[in-house]
Amino acid sequence: MTFRWSRWSPQLALVPAGLVTLVAFIGAILWTVYLSLTRSRRLPEYEIDWSEWGRQYERLFKDSAWLISLQNLIVLGLGSALAIVFGFILAAMIDREKRGESIFRTVFLYPLAISLIVTGAAWRWMFNPELGVEHFIHSIGLTWVNASWLARPETAMYGVILASVWQSAGFYMALMLAGLKSINSEIWSAARLDGVSLFRLYTEIIIPMMKFTFVTCAILLSLGVIKAYDVIVAMTNGGPGQSTYVPAYFTIQALSAKGNLGFASAAAVLMLLITAVIFLPLVLLTAWQQRRSGARS
Amino acid sequence: MTDLTVSQKSLGAEVAVRSAPYFPRKKKAITGRSIAVLVFLSICALFFCVPLYVVITTSFKTMEQIREGAMFALPNVWTLEAWDHAWNSACSGTRCEGLKVGFWNSVYILIPSLILSIGLSIVTGYALALWNVKWAGPFLFVLFICAFVPFQIIMFPLISMTAAMKVYGSIWGVAIIHAILAMPVLTLIFRNYYKDIPQEIMSAAVMDSGSFWKIFFEIILPMSGNILIVVLILQITSIWNDYLIGVTFGGLGGQPMTVNLANLITISTGTVRYNDNMAAALLTAIPPLVIYFFVGKLFVQGITAGAIKG
Repeated sequence: MTFRWSRWSPQLALVPAGLVTLVAFIGAILWTVYLSLTRSRRLPEYEIDWSEWGRQYERLFKDSAWLISLQNLIVLGLGSALAIVFGFILAAMIDREKRGESIFRTVFLYPLAISLIVTGAAWRWMFNPELGVEHFIHSIGLTWVNASWLARPETAMYGVILASVWQSAGFYMALMLAGLKSINSEIWSAARLDGVSLFRLYTEIIIPMMKFTFVTCAILLSLGVIKAYDVIVAMTNGGPGQSTYVPAYFTIQALSAKGNLGFASAAAVLMLLITAVIFLPLVLLTAWQQRRSGARS
Repeated sequence: MTDLTVSQKSLGAEVAVRSAPYFPRKKKAITGRSIAVLVFLSICALFFCVPLYVVITTSFKTMEQIREGAMFALPNVWTLEAWDHAWNSACSGTRCEGLKVGFWNSVYILIPSLILSIGLSIVTGYALALWNVKWAGPFLFVLFICAFVPFQIIMFPLISMTAAMKVYGSIWGVAIIHAILAMPVLTLIFRNYYKDIPQEIMSAAVMDSGSFWKIFFEIILPMSGNILIVVLILQITSIWNDYLIGVTFGGLGGQPMTVNLANLITISTGTVRYNDNMAAALLTAIPPLVIYFFVGKLFVQGITAGAIKG
């Protein structure tokens, strides 16, 4: 048999990508999982003491910073969900009221173009305890208002949430707007003929029709929340104290500042597990959607 | 003159054709509800613009005025001092050479990152979409999963590997990591674009004794203008805005602009010069903002396509 390049070159062209997947993704994940079972500190150790293989995980759940991280993950997730609600309201309004659509879209989406470090820098300055928004509110007489959220452990997370909502609401607006535009325009005139109130039209007809868009948004949001790192660094650096730690920040902190490799690996494995839990519905959803569109055609 | 009338005519015809199936829309008088909606939208727009306004005005103020505490006031004296200071002499860590160091690092990171990431994934996407390769389905599924993997779980192994390759702590290290991490998503984007190319074109091309690379360079690449520009914009903005990869793999010599900015704003010693910080933030934000305001539509297409990148 002669060697034919035309047959082999497509396979050869896949070798780099295949190697990257095998080494940099699959291999690296297994490596980290393995390290999480060892006693590695600053440098990797490759001996596993099977009698206490879960040692790093035990330590993790005794660590108050990790527990705060998990709690903050939920707080940040629920708070950031406001971005979806906000995005839907904006999209619904822009969609019905066509005037100024492109201007509003441009304004609501620009925060997405800039780095989260810049977003964090801007909001950090707005929340400045001495010279920021609080000073302004106090100077107009409302001295009882507390607006320097980032300075207090109890409210610091809300500051982070506000900045993330500001940054991402436009993105969800764009997704929702695409969803709204795909709805058959006859529904609007039919609803008007039937005299359905606008509120019922949205809650009972439009939102159920857009459930796929909502689920997509929710999954994207959850994945974004798990990855939240830059905005924490720029706004609070985890502080005050450890009140704004999130898993992504905790893991990198454990590796780079504390130099505790086994411990950081265990935290990273748990991050992967949380991602998998969120990711599973997405796989099922995609499969379901494909089957549905396959059945339709 | 004739060109103008022709184009006007065709434009008119196009409008007529487009609006034909719809009922003619009456120019409605503005209703109370419309006004309420527009007012609400404008207030929201204001909320989105306030941080930008504060950042811009602060960057032009003097420190004396900032200490007075009127955050929303316009600068008494408009000065470029803070911009000059941020660009030329702001301190990041122990080095006080300003953000220009980071700016050029970001540019040097951007170019090889773009070439590596797009080059790798366009070929992979093309092979997976249009050629009969073994295991294409499972491979795509694995790539889909890889697109969601959090960076932290592959961070330490990647540090070890780049250190072994002697690129850790340099611009090349950052570029290689960008290419690796972008590969799954970009491959999926390219593959989805190419899979709609009719099979007949491919059969004809193969009949014409076209080889894999010949078809790629002579037929597929010239067809990919649209998707290339979308991916290019997506990659430029996400590489420019990246912080985590830059700070992890850049070492001391290859830190991009975002890392310099983060060092500058989180500094806790000495008097903080807020006007410098805000000028630095703007300097970092300007390149992606320019792209956004000029080709916003393509930018939105890119982020929706690459949404899973998070």
